[in-house]
This record gives sequence, structure tokens and C-alpha cells, in this order.
Amino acid sequence: MEGGVPLGAYIAVSAALFFIGCAGVLMRRNAVVILMCVELMLNAANLALVAFSRRYGSVDERGSVFVTFVFVVAAAEVAVGLAIVLSAYRTRPVVDVDEARAMRG
Amino acid sequence: MTFDFLEYAIFAVLAVAVIGGGAMVVLLGRITSAALFMAMTFLAVAGMFVLLGAETLAAFQVLIYVGAITVLILYGVMFTPQSAREYALFFQKQTPWAAVFVGLVALPVLLFAFQFRDGRPLPRGGDLVPLATSLFGDFAFPFEVASVLLLAALVGAIVLVKRDEEEDA
Repeated sequence: MEGGVPLGAYIAVSAALFFIGCAGVLMRRNAVVILMCVELMLNAANLALVAFSRRYGSVDERGSVFVTFVFVVAAAEVAVGLAIVLSAYRTRPVVDVDEARAMRG
Repeated sequence: MTFDFLEYAIFAVLAVAVIGGGAMVVLLGRITSAALFMAMTFLAVAGMFVLLGAETLAAFQVLIYVGAITVLILYGVMFTPQSAREYALFFQKQTPWAAVFVGLVALPVLLFAFQFRDGRPLPRGGDLVPLATSLFGDFAFPFEVASVLLLAALVGAIVLVKRDEEEDA
């Protein structure tokens, strides 16, 4: 593994993907797109975890274990998030998060 | 190694796919296209896992993200009608503030990211055995808690979308 792509390149790609997702969450208004951007951010964190875990060489792969738990949490999050979007849409036919102000004080 | 450049080439292609796909998810107005570009981004990240030597996680990534989560998102897209208002990404009041905030935070982080140097690399070989040893050894209790979380999310999703007024059906 001498040479090869340096660790910094992986971390830079991960950071770029994270901020793309962050910009999407802040700018888009469609709730489903916001969920997709949250998934992108989680995936960027996974990439950084795997890169550090593989390149800093802990023999028992702690980083990969964390990535596995992130998979589980992401699956649960997208299932519950879509259920909330669908049930909110059933209450009032709105997917736009700017229009969903039923709980505004 | 005469084929050393190949790793750089594959990494460059994957990096372009990751960043381009992510940008398309944010920029495209059609939600179905955005979901498919999200699947492409996930596939490219799985390719990066393979390049890093984490083949098991790459398989998990393809199964869970490209398989399950993309299909779930596509179902969500189909069940909700699109574009009540017209698509206007760059003409809304959040966009300048979001761009300023993300730009201010992202540029230092991106510059800082290149500072990381390689540590001691792992020996070649699959990551399945160490991953399984950790997951079912030291992390056995969090593993069980994760299964309970998945069960709770499953039941919660069903309860959230259940129609109350059609109990007789």
C-alpha cells in the first residue's frame, strides 16, 4: 500500500459530499429531497470513517463497526422520515416544507 | 508497480461521480432524476470503499443504500405529487444565506482535509473477519440495540402511515 491515493484526497471528497448535502438541506424545499440530502451527508461521514479506519490501521476495524451502525440508523431514519412525509401529506396535501407550518407558534 | 497510475485514475473517476452526483441531487428539479443520481453517488462511494480495501462494507453499501434506501425514496417520490410551486432553486430567500454559510464553513474544511497524512496502513486482506470479530465481540450489545431500533422504526413507520378512518376495510 506504498504510494496510492493519499488519505487527504478521500477526506476532501468526503467533506465536499458532506457540504453538498448540507447546502441541499438548507436550500431545497421538497421534503423528499431534503431526506435524500441527509442520506448524502451520512454517506460522506461513512466515507471519512472508512478512510481513517483503513489508513490508520486499527486491527479490529472500529471505524467499520461504526459505519455498520450508521447504515442501521440511516435505514431507520429514512423509513420513519418517509412515513412522516406521507402522513403529513395526507393531513394537508403539501410536500413543501415552507408550507408545513401547522406547528408554528 | 507499473499499474500504480490505475488507482489514481479509478479514484479520479469515482470522485467525479461522487461530487457530480451529489451536485445533481441538489440542483436538479425533477425529483426522480435526483433520486437516480443519488443512487449513482452511493455506487461511487461503494467503489471508494473497494479502493480502500473495505469490500464487506462496499457490499453492505450496495445492498442497503443502492438497493433499499433508493427504492424507498423512489416510493416516497411516487406517493407524493411534485412541484406544487414551480421549481425555483436560485430565487428563494434561503439560498443566499445557505450559500454564504456553507461557503464559509466548507472552504476551510476542504483546505484542512488535505493536511491528513497516511498512518500505518492495514495489511492487505478482507475486512470481513476483523469486522465480524468486533461486531459480535466487543460490540455485541450495541448490535442488539440496533436491532431493537430497526424494529421500533419498522413499527413506527407502519403506525404513522396507517389510516385511522378506514378501520372497517
